[in-house]
Amino acid sequence: MSETDTSTTERADTGDAQTAALGSTGLTKRFGGIVAVDDVDLAVPEGELRAIIGPNGAGKTTLFNVLTHALAPTDGTVYLHGEEITDLPQEQRPHRGLARSFQSNQLFNELSVLENVRVVVQTIESGPFSFDLLGEGRSQHREQALDILDSVGLTDKRDVTAKNLSHGDQRRLGIAMALATDPSVLLLDEPTSGLGTNETGLVTDLIESVHQDLGLTLLLIEHDMDIVLSISDRVTVLDQGRVLATGTPDEVRGDSEVQEAYLGGMREEL
Amino acid sequence: MSDESATNRTGGGLVSGLPLGTLNRYKVPIGALLLVLLLRPLVSMEFLLGYGSVANTILIWMLFAASFNLLLGYTGLLSFGHAMFLGIGAYVTAIGLSRFSSSFVLSAIVALALAGVVAYLIGRITVQKGEIYFAMLTLAFGTTAHFIANYNPAGLTGGTTGIAGGAVPAWIETERGLKYVNLGGFQFDWYWLVAAAVLVGLVVLWQIVRSPFGRTLIAIRENKELARAMGINTYRYKVWAFTLSGVVAAYAGTILEINEQGATLSLLTVETSGDVILMTVLGGANYFFGPVAGAFVWLFAEDYLTDFEMLVLPLKEIPIVSLELAGVLAYWQFFLGLLFVIAVLIAPREGIWGLLRDSLETLYDRLRTGEEDV
Amino acid sequence: MNAIPIPGTQRSITPAGGIVWGVLVLLTVMSAIVRPGLFIDQVIGGLVYGLVLVLIALGLSIVLGLLGIVNFAHGALFMLGAYFTFQLMEVWGVSFWVTLVVAPLGVGLVGVAIERGVLRHLYDKNPLNGLLATFGIALMLGEATRAIWGGTPRSVVAPQVLSMGFDLGVTTVSRIRLFTVAVAVIVIAAVYLLIERTDFGLSVRAGVLDREMAEFLGVNMNVRFISMFVLGAAIAGLGGVLRGAAVGMDVGMANQFIILAFVVAVVGGIGSLFGSVVAGLLIGGASYLTPLYLSTLAEVTTLEFINIPGIGGLVPYLVMIVVLLARPRGLFGQEGFLE
Repeated sequence: MSETDTSTTERADTGDAQTAALGSTGLTKRFGGIVAVDDVDLAVPEGELRAIIGPNGAGKTTLFNVLTHALAPTDGTVYLHGEEITDLPQEQRPHRGLARSFQSNQLFNELSVLENVRVVVQTIESGPFSFDLLGEGRSQHREQALDILDSVGLTDKRDVTAKNLSHGDQRRLGIAMALATDPSVLLLDEPTSGLGTNETGLVTDLIESVHQDLGLTLLLIEHDMDIVLSISDRVTVLDQGRVLATGTPDEVRGDSEVQEAYLGGMREEL
Repeated sequence: MSDESATNRTGGGLVSGLPLGTLNRYKVPIGALLLVLLLRPLVSMEFLLGYGSVANTILIWMLFAASFNLLLGYTGLLSFGHAMFLGIGAYVTAIGLSRFSSSFVLSAIVALALAGVVAYLIGRITVQKGEIYFAMLTLAFGTTAHFIANYNPAGLTGGTTGIAGGAVPAWIETERGLKYVNLGGFQFDWYWLVAAAVLVGLVVLWQIVRSPFGRTLIAIRENKELARAMGINTYRYKVWAFTLSGVVAAYAGTILEINEQGATLSLLTVETSGDVILMTVLGGANYFFGPVAGAFVWLFAEDYLTDFEMLVLPLKEIPIVSLELAGVLAYWQFFLGLLFVIAVLIAPREGIWGLLRDSLETLYDRLRTGEEDV
Repeated sequence: MNAIPIPGTQRSITPAGGIVWGVLVLLTVMSAIVRPGLFIDQVIGGLVYGLVLVLIALGLSIVLGLLGIVNFAHGALFMLGAYFTFQLMEVWGVSFWVTLVVAPLGVGLVGVAIERGVLRHLYDKNPLNGLLATFGIALMLGEATRAIWGGTPRSVVAPQVLSMGFDLGVTTVSRIRLFTVAVAVIVIAAVYLLIERTDFGLSVRAGVLDREMAEFLGVNMNVRFISMFVLGAAIAGLGGVLRGAAVGMDVGMANQFIILAFVVAVVGGIGSLFGSVVAGLLIGGASYLTPLYLSTLAEVTTLEFINIPGIGGLVPYLVMIVVLLARPRGLFGQEGFLE
């Protein structure tokens, strides 16, 4: 592949962070002397599937953490559908439509698959805090949870304890829970890492259907380039916390700086 | 109803094998009812403890431990100062009765209200700190409560001797060492009032735990980072869990006040807070009846083993092996402590109740598969 | 309100802080003038108590900071140091000077047993499990002590040279107290040097930050974990020897001092050895000086109620509550530790 003129790939995002579904300006996160996220400008338009790629340690997960306020940003602003949410507490964000899944399979381990999803549905329906001491929980929450499990294909495993699921099923459960928050913007952190070919296919199909059928805006941290190339609309490349390039997969592929960062000069893989 | 058994482990897969779905749903209240009805007859049996009044203490401590487990088992918070709420319940009631000649009911209501306020305030400042800091802060507050009671402000709390006189409601009578309740001429054994009160307390806790509020607490216990990421305000849930657990503990304290006919400093000590931790973890923090079982084992052991002199196997009437154990078993806490450490190493959340249930389930499964056609 | 710069330094102090400092200085001066003998007594008492707290808290902080285990049994190890002293000196007739070395070693051995038997299974688990397990061990050790040596308080007879007093004019200070101070200071300095200035200490600190990497580089972390735990145990044991020889011992001291040690470790900031030292001295001093300040104030203002009996015992907890609310990590705590 010949080198594409690097001016067609943008360093920063085109488009205004404030009109995008999810955007940031100058987003920075420092840990002592280390800058994990460095002046990141982001503007993901409504309905786009944006892949975030970069070498290990590039700050991708930290970026997600700052976007969801699992970590407080050191500097910069975050916008959700045009509204500034930089300091909005973590637990408020799913209620505004921003959800995520985790790379490390975060689940409610001892609870059943159904209960994992049901409790999220209940939370979204009743708010971040609800002093509801009566009854056992609305049956409609349970119904909705079953519907979501159906959409990800985990219905037959609904009574299994979460920690006993296979890796791939745990991933799908994580995505199901994120979907249960009824998001408009969904952040997925390496959803296919550690999965076998079969499971990877299932998860990828799920992501695609979520993107197309539900019309969600998706940010996807991925290492698997095949997936990145096949399903993403655009790609943002991070290296050492900074945005190296943003563009379509093909544009980014040919970018010399990106190649340098990944391969240190060798271009066989791309 | 199977999602309930995974959620809050309120009973056993054992029971879910039975065809009666309703029985399974209400296994905790049913179990609690059986417990309060049968405990005293059980414990009074000759070869156990031989007398009945200890059943009162055991029931009250079971409720106290269950209230503690709302924090530990269901929310994941380890408090080292829970005795303070038991103490508030007992002391405020005793103060109302003896210093202000007030009625028991009014004093008890004030006790619960005060416990709620104190728990809420302490909860607000402590629950969001890390686990160790939380444990230490609750310890510090508990010690402060002990100090205040010892200091005897305005002569209210009686200092080191506590409150002993005039602290019994008018409707309690004592005849030949046994307590009775006398309501308008109708007299009945005090135990039954304790039983009813503890039953109510346990059912209230059960309802809290199975409610949407309680199920969110369980999610928080399982993975608090995930809970926050999914939109749960873990801080407010923890504060209210702390408050509710304090109020129920104080409720147990009001019952204890009548039983002990007053309030003593020993209720507020670190040892008391430590004992309830031991009972709960030993019994099994994952289960509703875990702390109940743990309280039983602990108090039973205390009573049974300290008087143990000879271990005769298999029966007193047919002695084959006999061991002189008088000296050793006076230090029963050593052995229970050892059991506790082993429990923490092997199955920290399962405890005695968990192991018991699992072995009964395995037994039940083996029996069933013996009968089943393939 | 704005901070006021302190002349001659780069730092500044808020008006509230200034008032607090001012009051403390005033109370100190008043107490020193009104009751000089008592004042010196209390200062030294606070120093001795504080250093003993530091010895225990150091071990706790080392174990917690370096191994991630909350060792509730640490107070029991302290108590064992005292009881071993009794056993060695009063039952076996060993001299104090030998006991001073042997007893801590004995406690160290108990530490090895605890580490190998229980703790090593808990290293990467939920810290609450370690807290609970060591809580159980503390219970066991307490009962065992009661079984072996009985529930009544014990004491030992200190050697001649230490029993005499040291005349300071307004009061006499027992030499054993001065001895305690000296030994404690030496040990604390030695531990600091070991951990901060030797290669061994460096390898331990590296292993705590990244165990896999350290082991990959050939560092035997098992040996280091054991030795750090034993070191912590032995220091606590030494504290027990000093305390037991000076004041005596009882089975309640384990619980009493573990709680205080935690308070010191938490106030100083978990993971900071320097913090433990500062906090220990602060709390020791405050425990002894607060009753004095209050009684002086009561005397001067003739408001008797200020003189709260037993307040010294509550001071550590009050200090902890205040410090943790103002600085949730303690005075010198490190970010992210157990938060």
